[in-house]
Amino acid sequence: MEKPLQKIIAENPYVPMPVEIIKIITEVDTKDIKTFRLAFVNKEDEERFKYIPGQFAELSLYGKGESPIGIASSPTQKGYIEFTVQKAGVVTSALHEMEEGTLMGVRGPLGNSWPLEFLEGKNIVIVGGGFAFTTLRSLINYMIFEENRKRFGKITVVYGARYPGLLLYKDELEAWAKRGDIDLNVTVDKGDATWKGREGFVPTVCKEVAPSKENAVTVICGPPIMIRFTLPVFFDLGFSKENIITSLEMRMKCGIGKCGRCNVGSKYVCKDGPVFSLAELDKLTKEY
Amino acid sequence: MEKKLLKKDNLSGIVKKMAADKTVYAPVQDEDNVLFKILGPGMDPLVAFANTKNAPKKVFFPHSELLVKYERSPKGMVFAAMPADAKEVVLFGVRPCDARSFALLDMLFDQEKWKDPYYIEKRKKSAVISLACVQPPYSSCFCTSVDGSPTSTQGSDIQLTDLGDNYLVEFLTPKGEALASWFSGATAADAGAEAKKKEIAEKSAAAIKSQIPGRAIKPILDVNFEHPFWDTIYGKCLACGTCTYMCPTCHCFDISDEVKGDDGVRIRNWDSCMFPLFTKETSGHNPRTSQKQRWRQRLMHKFKYYVDNFDAIACVGCGRCVMSCPVNIDIRKIVTDISKL
Repeated sequence: MEKPLQKIIAENPYVPMPVEIIKIITEVDTKDIKTFRLAFVNKEDEERFKYIPGQFAELSLYGKGESPIGIASSPTQKGYIEFTVQKAGVVTSALHEMEEGTLMGVRGPLGNSWPLEFLEGKNIVIVGGGFAFTTLRSLINYMIFEENRKRFGKITVVYGARYPGLLLYKDELEAWAKRGDIDLNVTVDKGDATWKGREGFVPTVCKEVAPSKENAVTVICGPPIMIRFTLPVFFDLGFSKENIITSLEMRMKCGIGKCGRCNVGSKYVCKDGPVFSLAELDKLTKEY
Repeated sequence: MEKKLLKKDNLSGIVKKMAADKTVYAPVQDEDNVLFKILGPGMDPLVAFANTKNAPKKVFFPHSELLVKYERSPKGMVFAAMPADAKEVVLFGVRPCDARSFALLDMLFDQEKWKDPYYIEKRKKSAVISLACVQPPYSSCFCTSVDGSPTSTQGSDIQLTDLGDNYLVEFLTPKGEALASWFSGATAADAGAEAKKKEIAEKSAAAIKSQIPGRAIKPILDVNFEHPFWDTIYGKCLACGTCTYMCPTCHCFDISDEVKGDDGVRIRNWDSCMFPLFTKETSGHNPRTSQKQRWRQRLMHKFKYYVDNFDAIACVGCGRCVMSCPVNIDIRKIVTDISKL
């Protein structure tokens, strides 16, 4: 006798949970980055999909394949999960063609997460560049959620994009700017006629903002070039490698440490990562 | 653990009878090769052979395996069905090195946190009857250098050892004991039989001349990821992947989708770390762009990463990669050379 579908899926990490695309938001003026809001078809799956900011999931399009994408929503947002996806390969291109109401799949949550327990009670510096702001946005929304806010100290955010049209989550950035409890620093490499905000590269802005290293942790995600020039700023500010946290990306298939392609040394980015401190990365080989 | 003695002439008949009752994989002659295959009607299982050309891991981890079926609906492709449940199978005539490969693969596929249901179900429903090597089948055998031996029982449910006129039949696990009725013609083994097996085990292990420092290179690998030595090993490698496809412990796979009309399947296929596309990302970035990096990955995965994660070497010393490599790259020489760094 065949087992009920729910049981099969619950026991099988390769079978995606069915979700419906309930909202699609085009984030940038190049139209190649969209946020997909997904609602679980089965209530049990929603309860099972307990995630922490920094985790990812395999977005699963039957007939096309799967793509590992960081979760952009915060677990404090109930009833749906969100993924911000750049159109790039087979799966993400197919996803970009989809409309609200379409059914697809999600496998997860996968990977470790931002180290919330470690972050608690500390001043948090968030540094994001371009499209790599998604799981940082999850962390920010988690930390500023009313019940959670007191568990974290000062929150400083430096977020940059090449030009204003490439900034993600514009409405949220405006809402955050109005709050008194985030030091929000949004910057663009080059502004336009309507841009009234800051201009300048992320490393430079970090230098100007100069967050204190006292009881502070920096969480940083961005293009490699931004990371390369920003890290020295934080070293100069006295941040230790234990207190700088980042997230890695690798090609993945299974997402659960079996298929063998996302390892960095003995660690699997999918299962032991994607989040590592710089101190942890120093112990790994530089093959990523 | 029960031990019995079985008249040698009776073995083939027992295996054939078993094959009439359930799915039995066994070594069979297939043109030029001895292959590990399902024993069909009229086929004879080999009891005297070196080893199968293909590794028996394919029973639990097939070249291509269905993960899930789906179908078109008005709102998109949706789940349709799971693959059929695995059948009970018996693997007969597995060499001890290959039986050990199952124990090594269990460590990965049956981990505490993430379990691979497809692999685990097939493993649960199978019994492994190994045939001890009374003499090492190949000069390239090196099981004793990677924690194994020609008479290792790790990964076996029953082990058979050729004592001359009889096989010593050792029922090693409950799954093995469940097959005891098939060996009803066997008689109780006496102390002499056990002594003889011990003697054979020592003699066979001593006959393995190919020795490599399998465990000793771990601390050297720990600190030599960037050593110029790696530049010397990959030059003639064709990146054909044969070594990984022949290997009883290699387990990397790809997942892909195939659609025909309104129906589709998601399948997983063997993949290989020796292929350039294995790690290539959508952006074009590839953490391992050179065959040097890919060879280092294969060697490190077997002799360092698996040891780090499971305290086991992911190599059973079967020598298939040594014999199959079209350009004669020899992992034994590489390991030995590393020990001298």
